[in-house]
Amino acid sequence: MTLLELAQAVLLLAGCFFYAIGTLGLFRFPDTLTRIHALTKVDNLGLGLIVLGLLPFAAHLAAAAKLLLIWLLALAASATAAHLVALAVRQQQEGNPHDD
Amino acid sequence: MSLVLALVAIFLLLTLMAGLWRIWHGPKDVDRMLAAQLFGTTGVALLLVLAEAMATPALRDVALVLAVLAIVATVAFVTRVAQIDRPSADRKEGADDTP
Amino acid sequence: MLRFLAVLLVWWILTDGEASALAFGVGVAVLVMLVSAVLFPRSGYRLVWYRVPGFLWFFVVQSAVAGLDVARRLLAPSLPIAPGLRALTVHLPEGAPRWLLANVLSLLPGTLSVRLQDNQLLMHCLDTGMPLEAQVRQAERRVAALFGVDTGVAL
Repeated sequence: MTLLELAQAVLLLAGCFFYAIGTLGLFRFPDTLTRIHALTKVDNLGLGLIVLGLLPFAAHLAAAAKLLLIWLLALAASATAAHLVALAVRQQQEGNPHDD
Repeated sequence: MSLVLALVAIFLLLTLMAGLWRIWHGPKDVDRMLAAQLFGTTGVALLLVLAEAMATPALRDVALVLAVLAIVATVAFVTRVAQIDRPSADRKEGADDTP
Repeated sequence: MLRFLAVLLVWWILTDGEASALAFGVGVAVLVMLVSAVLFPRSGYRLVWYRVPGFLWFFVVQSAVAGLDVARRLLAPSLPIAPGLRALTVHLPEGAPRWLLANVLSLLPGTLSVRLQDNQLLMHCLDTGMPLEAQVRQAERRVAALFGVDTGVAL
């Protein structure tokens, strides 16, 4: 196993570790809003590490760019999703969405 | 190296299983939705790892589609169940001009 | 023209750099550019392109810090969180800059944008004891610099 492969393995395993923590957050955190924190932030870090670990495998530049594109897309998706779910939770908590 | 990839894939699959517990128990629909979102992010990573492990580049495209579908699922949930989209709700610049 | 190049780049990525697909891609890129120009007219904000790498770097580092921060709290047996809601006034102009700030904040340490109404941003914070205001202002400065806009107040 070369040094690069070792680094890749470490990155991939670290990514797994953060995914596990993200899932743990779904269980340990007390309410929905805090669970969103766990899910979006920790999972993004996990995905980032896994993408970083997979990058050297990419056969050519376009394949590497696709990995990065997927990562950016996932980031934007989770930021938007987190915001939307948080807004939904807030409106349900208020019990009155016509508060403006 | 392929062993590492296989282990990573199996591990990610296990975290998905844990997410199932959350879907089963809830307690609220929002929590179930969050678990579904977890399926989205973990699924993307899982597919990327599998694409490498099984030398099937097409799985990367599947991951891309899954990432897009995950956000569509969340938007559908939020608009339907939580009804953000009701007429008097604030239709301000932030939510609508997403490129 | 920039849009055309961006669309073409995405096409190139999606087709795995396949040269034979590129001719078709040029046609698609022209169509997509025309449609997007009609649907999303210029917002009046232009990115300061040489600040994009710096912004991305700031964002990637900060989101990694955010992940570590939440992970650290989750692994601590005492679960040290003090969640709460905070409202802040945003100094960025309407439209793209404000929207970008809200989305970026969701991935920065401790903050989660809940509602953006006019210039009032409601955030959920994981730990209300953190120096949140300073963080938000820092992110705000970054976004303002990225769009080359003035926030109108001394930050």
